[in-house]
Amino acid sequence: MNAQASSHAIGAMKTTARQERAWMPWTWSGMLLIVLAFLVLYPTAMLLIGALTTTNPVVEGYKLSDLSIGNFLTVAANQNVAYALMNSMIACGGGTVVALVIGLSFAWVVVRTNTPCKGLIASAGMLPLFVPPLVAGVAWAILGSPKTGLINLVLAKLGIDFRFDLYSMSGMIFVFGIYYAPYVYMFTAAALRNMDPSLEEAAEISGASAARTMATVTFPLILPAIISSMLLSFVVMLGIYGIPAVLGAPANIPVLTTYIFALTAWSPPLYNTAAAVAVILMMVTGLMVYAQQKVLTGRSFTTVAGKAFRPRSLNLGPWRFLTLGLAIVYLLVVVVLPSIALIIAAFRKFLFIRDIPAIFDMKQYGWQHFIKMFDNPLTVQSMINSMKVGLITAVVGGILSFAIGYTITRSQAPARRTIDMITTIPVAIPGLVIGVAYLWAWIGLPGGLYGTFWILALAFVARFLPDTVKALSTSLMQIHRELEEAAWICGRSLFGTITSVVLPLARPGVVAAMTLLFILSIRELGSSLFLYSSGTMVMAVQLLGYYEGGNIGITAAFSLVQMVLLAVLISFTNYLSRGAAQGSVGRSG
Amino acid sequence: MSSELHVDQLRKVFTTGKPPVEKAAVDNVTFTIAAGEIVVLLGPSGCGKTTTLRCVAGLEHPTSGQIRIGGTMYTDPQAGVLVPPRNRNLGMVFQSYAVWPHMTVRQNVAYPLKARGTPKAELEKAVMQALDLVELASYADRPVTQLSGGQMQRVALARSMVYQPQILLLDEPLSNLDAQLRLRLRDDLRQIIKRVGLTALYVTHDQTEAVVLGDRIGVMRDGKLLQLDTPREIYNHPADLFVAGFTGASNVIEGRLVSNDGAFGTVAVGDNQRLTARLAAGVKVDAAVKIALRADNVLMAPVTEGPNRFRATIDAQHYQGTQTVYQLGLLGARIEAMEVGSSARFEQGATIEVGLPPEICWAYPG
Repeated sequence: MNAQASSHAIGAMKTTARQERAWMPWTWSGMLLIVLAFLVLYPTAMLLIGALTTTNPVVEGYKLSDLSIGNFLTVAANQNVAYALMNSMIACGGGTVVALVIGLSFAWVVVRTNTPCKGLIASAGMLPLFVPPLVAGVAWAILGSPKTGLINLVLAKLGIDFRFDLYSMSGMIFVFGIYYAPYVYMFTAAALRNMDPSLEEAAEISGASAARTMATVTFPLILPAIISSMLLSFVVMLGIYGIPAVLGAPANIPVLTTYIFALTAWSPPLYNTAAAVAVILMMVTGLMVYAQQKVLTGRSFTTVAGKAFRPRSLNLGPWRFLTLGLAIVYLLVVVVLPSIALIIAAFRKFLFIRDIPAIFDMKQYGWQHFIKMFDNPLTVQSMINSMKVGLITAVVGGILSFAIGYTITRSQAPARRTIDMITTIPVAIPGLVIGVAYLWAWIGLPGGLYGTFWILALAFVARFLPDTVKALSTSLMQIHRELEEAAWICGRSLFGTITSVVLPLARPGVVAAMTLLFILSIRELGSSLFLYSSGTMVMAVQLLGYYEGGNIGITAAFSLVQMVLLAVLISFTNYLSRGAAQGSVGRSG
Repeated sequence: MSSELHVDQLRKVFTTGKPPVEKAAVDNVTFTIAAGEIVVLLGPSGCGKTTTLRCVAGLEHPTSGQIRIGGTMYTDPQAGVLVPPRNRNLGMVFQSYAVWPHMTVRQNVAYPLKARGTPKAELEKAVMQALDLVELASYADRPVTQLSGGQMQRVALARSMVYQPQILLLDEPLSNLDAQLRLRLRDDLRQIIKRVGLTALYVTHDQTEAVVLGDRIGVMRDGKLLQLDTPREIYNHPADLFVAGFTGASNVIEGRLVSNDGAFGTVAVGDNQRLTARLAAGVKVDAAVKIALRADNVLMAPVTEGPNRFRATIDAQHYQGTQTVYQLGLLGARIEAMEVGSSARFEQGATIEVGLPPEICWAYPG
């Protein structure tokens, strides 16, 4: 790496005496391209091949002889696939609408009104981003299962006939909506905050009423942010496995993700069909991501602003307590209720609750589920495994992302655009699809990666590559180019410059990116599902196993353990990078 | 259409910091602008000029005081009168242009008329007239984001005038433009406003802008209106040391008033030398005074007649191309003097005769 790293400096210093070594930048770029091809292109290609053949890679190996678009079309025309696709669209579309309503109102309340405690509301409102979807699903299953859900028990005790049924399409839409509202909030709040207040003042001076100003100026200006956040949350929901697995499966509502997994869990596993459905999921996602990029780049509404401004704040008068009340209700529903549900389920001997005072009967509570959980050697083993995979992912992903980030932002190395482009591809590939792709890429090769920690780690590196490279590029771009040039002038080689100037300055960013990778990989479920084996069981999969085994107590206990672990890690990352982590944790679902 | 503006005892108090401290951003400001007149409020940042303007616009609510436009009361917090901006029929040009980026030039300019429900034919005529006025008629259907800064500001101007407002408010409209454009638009701006005959209140921190644009200039500091006068008066009879300094009288000579002869007096300065100076209000015999003197008012050799002739040494020469600034050792102080023209007549180390006509030496209480 040393020699190659110093090589692309020559690309920048074309007139030096070392011009004869012009092949070295090509070696560096070539190496990066090979690594990217191995991580991203090869698995994607194998997935496509899988979707176009009918041969089973485990039994027959890889054959290119029967490649035919017909195989793919047969799957695509299958009624079950269409049904799963439709369910995905309804669940994610509905979830997006719910998320829009909640997120946009939240953004308006926090940025534009004088509602009390809005800082607190804003930060508490972001909490759902950190909750793994599976844990969210489990918590809401405990709260809202039609027969034994805590909410329904309380309703029954109160003598109310109405029952919530979260095991339904509307249940999925609801949980999707409340957990992904923070995306819409983040985008629209930023747009509202960055809008020059004089744009609205100008409308008022022009004679427009408050409603007219909102409809003709405010709303059109934040429209790109709204559309873009909707597309993003739709894409993220589309790739989620945990929530539909918990809430959709009992009601027999397959979505694309759960359907793909069901196909590989079949006996014999239908790997080809799974690959074909995964390709459909990838195409839908790719389309949405493309649309989102279009919306973001198509209309640039940045305007010149001379001085720093404060967003206009609407005086709501007594109504501000209504908005405060609504915000508290949201936090109650999204943060407090699920936490209570998990805690009760984890510590109570039996989830059955006779009456309301029984909830507070301390004799019913104890550590029994935790003891039982840790009695199972698989629990601890899965935690150790997750740490191992997380560590490999963080180190490999960190180094690779730094190399790519530096090459893209700082060097003159050839093929930089291509490298940048390949790096962004995984944005459009849901985690679960990456899992299927890696499965296809390695399952048929004897003695290969399949069944090792490395296949999980490499899949995670590929999956999170766009996020980490982007984060690192941002921190690299903040280092002024002249700082590097000064080191060159002082006679340092390129590698010397990187180690003595760039790395020390970018260290907070690099450390944050690595910690982030660690966090993301220990909570990743979608791609792990297809890549773990008996020896490499990870936490997220183990949790799903407990849930599907039907033991709610242990499931809740393990969920709590994972949440605490994540909370500690995330506060550590936030401490390192002041909030940079929260956006990225969210983005990957 | 244009109307008179009366601002009476305007006061705006902000509470900031911990523990909360009350600070008057605008402190008992009173002035009147006649119909068709351009008044410029000039002062350093934080002097309260923008707050005053925003109170007139109705975007800011004053603590007390009254604002009347064309005989109608628009702001009187004590009486509970606070007409919202949209009902004031004012035009405003913002520092950041505030043209709406999601609309074309035409849509931007038509917006205020649409909000008023103007009939379509009339609207289109008015829009084209306004665009003609700012010479942007051929850009009507461009998205505003494709315009340069100067063009955007002209769109903003057209938008603020298209409905013939009672008063035009301009909040540092040129400060985001580059220097050359600022000069050009500065001259255009006065012409356009005068051609339409609008009453205008203009806020800036740039003295030359104020002089070129304003019929009268109001100098503000710490929320107070120090002096409101024609540019000529402000530059030749500044009311106090701050106004003198802010408009460019950067030389200060300290001394003691020996005798008061009415408008003028004799001041003892430096090594027991005497200087005749024009006295501002409040100076007392035998008390310390500060004399403000513009660098460009110092007469340099040959000076053969008149009072206040002194010998000065040239301590330094700063040649600036079209002018030369000299550092003079004069009356025991360091005085800057300016000579216009590309040839510098005096070299460092020379001793020359300088004249300080009493009319340009302004003595203020020290």
